[in-house]
Amino acid sequence: MVETYTDAFYFADESLSRNLLPLREDTASTERDRSRRKILVVDDQRLIADTIVEIFKGAGFDAIPAYDGWSALEIANRLRPDLLLSDVLMPQMNGVQLAVAMRRSHPETKILLFTGQAGISEILLEGKEQGYEFELLPKPIHPLKLIERIKERL
Amino acid sequence: MESTSPVQPKSVFVKDVPASPSASHGTGTKPDAIDARAHLAAIVDSSDDPIISKDLNGIVTSWNHAAASVFGYAPEEIIGQSILRLIPPELHSEEERLLNTIRTGQRIEHFETTRLRKNGERFPVSVTISPIKDAESRIIGASRIVREISDRLKSDESQFRLAAIVDSADDAIISKDLNGIVKTWNFAASRIFGYTAEEMVGQSILKLIPENLKYEEDEILRKLRAGERIDHYETTRRRKNGELLDVSVTISPIRDESGHVIGASKIARDISQRKQFELLLIQSEKIAATGRMAAAVAHEINNPLESLINLIFLARQDSLEGSEAHKLLLTAEEELERVSHIARQTLGYYRETGTPTDVFLHDLIENVLTVYNSKIISNSISVAANFNDLQKINVSKGELLQVFSNVIANAIDAMPAGGTLDISTRNFVGASGHGIQTTISDTGIGIQAEHMPRVFDPFFTTKGNMGTGLGLWVARQLVESRGGQISITSNSSKKNSGTAVTIFVPFARPQSSISGEQKNG
Repeated sequence: MVETYTDAFYFADESLSRNLLPLREDTASTERDRSRRKILVVDDQRLIADTIVEIFKGAGFDAIPAYDGWSALEIANRLRPDLLLSDVLMPQMNGVQLAVAMRRSHPETKILLFTGQAGISEILLEGKEQGYEFELLPKPIHPLKLIERIKERL
Repeated sequence: MESTSPVQPKSVFVKDVPASPSASHGTGTKPDAIDARAHLAAIVDSSDDPIISKDLNGIVTSWNHAAASVFGYAPEEIIGQSILRLIPPELHSEEERLLNTIRTGQRIEHFETTRLRKNGERFPVSVTISPIKDAESRIIGASRIVREISDRLKSDESQFRLAAIVDSADDAIISKDLNGIVKTWNFAASRIFGYTAEEMVGQSILKLIPENLKYEEDEILRKLRAGERIDHYETTRRRKNGELLDVSVTISPIRDESGHVIGASKIARDISQRKQFELLLIQSEKIAATGRMAAAVAHEINNPLESLINLIFLARQDSLEGSEAHKLLLTAEEELERVSHIARQTLGYYRETGTPTDVFLHDLIENVLTVYNSKIISNSISVAANFNDLQKINVSKGELLQVFSNVIANAIDAMPAGGTLDISTRNFVGASGHGIQTTISDTGIGIQAEHMPRVFDPFFTTKGNMGTGLGLWVARQLVESRGGQISITSNSSKKNSGTAVTIFVPFARPQSSISGEQKNG
C-alpha cells in the first residue's frame, strides 16, 4: 500500500512549506520499538519517496518520507534517523546541501545519496569543497539491491 | 663616309689613333685606312662589353663607350692611367700574373674576377685578354674585353636560392613530365615518401599511388595537358615501406618558353597528423554529443523507472504468492530490470561522480568485484588478481568504474560454468606515454573471429536478450575520452578459449579532454 499525504502540500516558498508541513504522527515513532532502524527517505518525486518507504517498511525498517530538504531536516531533528537516503537534484535545497547540514547537526546519521540524473558533479563538488564526500547510488536501483546497500550500512 | 658608319664613333678613344670624331672623317688623306679604322672603332664602341687596351706596363691606352658606362670613368680620366685603378687592391698581384701571361703571347679567356667601379662598387666580371702585337709581332700591349657577369651570376644565384628553398621546404616538391616520369625530387619528398631522389628521378610517379587510386593519375595528367591546375586535392599516397599516408597535393602545369605544357610541378603536404586530429575531434564531438544525450535521456527516464520498479515490486509483494498476478508482476519486474540495466549502463552513474580524483585503479577494480561477488560465487569463478599499479592516477572514478564494471560483467557472463577471472594492473609505457595497463582475462567461451571486428560497435551483442550491446562501446568511449586505449583479444576454439581485454590509461590527461570540460570553458 502506498500512503498518500494530501495534507503535506508543497510550496515553492520553503518558509511556507515549513509552516504548513504536517507532523505525521503515524510515522513519528518515538514510542516505537527503538531497535528498529530509522531511515529518512527524501525525494521531491513523492512517488519515489513513498514507494521506497513502503519497501523499507516491508524489509523491517522504520522509514519516513520527506519531499524536500527543509522538511527532511525538521523530521531529522525530531526523529534522529540512523540513515538518510536522499535524492540529489531537488528544488530549494539539494541533496548535497541537505547531507552537509545533516553531517553537521547529526554526525551519527549515515548518509546515502541516489540519483538518476546526469550533471550533478558540480553539486557534489560543492560538498567536497566543504570537506564532505558522500556515497552515491544510481537510480534506478532494484528494491532488493537498495535494501542490501542499506543493510550494509546499518 | 659618315653615312656608312653604323654608329657614331664619337667615343672611341684609342691612344695611338686620333680618337676624336673629327679624326674619322676630317682629313681625307688616307680615306681607306681611316675608313677601316673608323669602322673598327665603331664596332668596338658599339660593343656592349667594355673593351680596353693597355700597354705592357698596365697603362690604359684605349677605352670604349661601354667601358665608360660600366666602370664610370670618362676616357680622359682613365687613359694614361694604370689599369690597377679598376682592380681591387687585394687583386693587384693578379694583374701582374695576367700581364706575365700576356707577355708570353698567350691569350686569357673568360677569366672570372672582380673589378672596381669609379664609385668604389665591386662587381664580378669575365675578362678575355689578348696580346696586341706590332707589325714585327712584338707584343706591345693587351686588349681586354670585360663582360659584366652580375646578371648571369645573379640568375645563377637565384636558381641556387630557388633550389635551396625547394630543398628546405617541408612539403614534398616534385616535378614530372607529361608521362608521369619524375624529373626532380626534393629532400622533403624523400622524407615524406621514403624514396631518395636517386630512387625516384626517372621513375613513374605511379610508384607513389596506391593500386586502387591509380586512375587518379590519368585524370591528373588529363587536366594538366589542358593546362589546368589542381589545388589542395586530398588523397592517399604510399610510402616506400608500403604505409599509406594522407596528403594534400597541389599540381601546376610547367610550360616551356612557347607556352606548351611539358610537365607538372607537384607540392604534396603530409596531412596524416591533421587527419588524425580531425578524426579525434569528430570522435570527441561524438562522445560529447552522446554525453549530452545521455544526460537528457537520463533525466527523463531514470526517475520514472525508479518509481515503476518500486511500484511493481510492492504490487508483487502484495499479491498472493503463486497467483497469476504474482507471476505476471515478477515477469514485469524482470523486464523492467533489463531496461534499468540498459539505463544504468549507458545513462548510469559514470557522469555523476564528479571531477577527476587521484585513485588507485586496483581500488576501483576491487569495488567492482565486490558488486559482482555474488555472481562470481554462483558461477564458480575463481578470481586471480595481481595488482602492481604502484601509483594513483587522476581519473573520473565513475567513468573508470563503468569501464571495469562493463568488462568484468562480460568476463563473468562468458564463464557460466566456471573458470578463472584474471585481473592484473601494472605501470606501463604505452603509445600515449606513461600510464597504467589493466588486463582482464577470462577462460570463458571466447569471441568468434567473425564477431571480433564488431565488438566495440554499439548495440552489437552475442548475449541475445541478455545483452545490451553497449557495454564495450561505452567502455571504449570512456577510455578514449580519457586519452587511453582499450583492446581485445580472444580465442573461441574449444581448447584454451578465453578473452583478454587490455585497458591502458595514461597518467597525463588528454589536452582537449571532453570529460574535463570547464563550466566557463
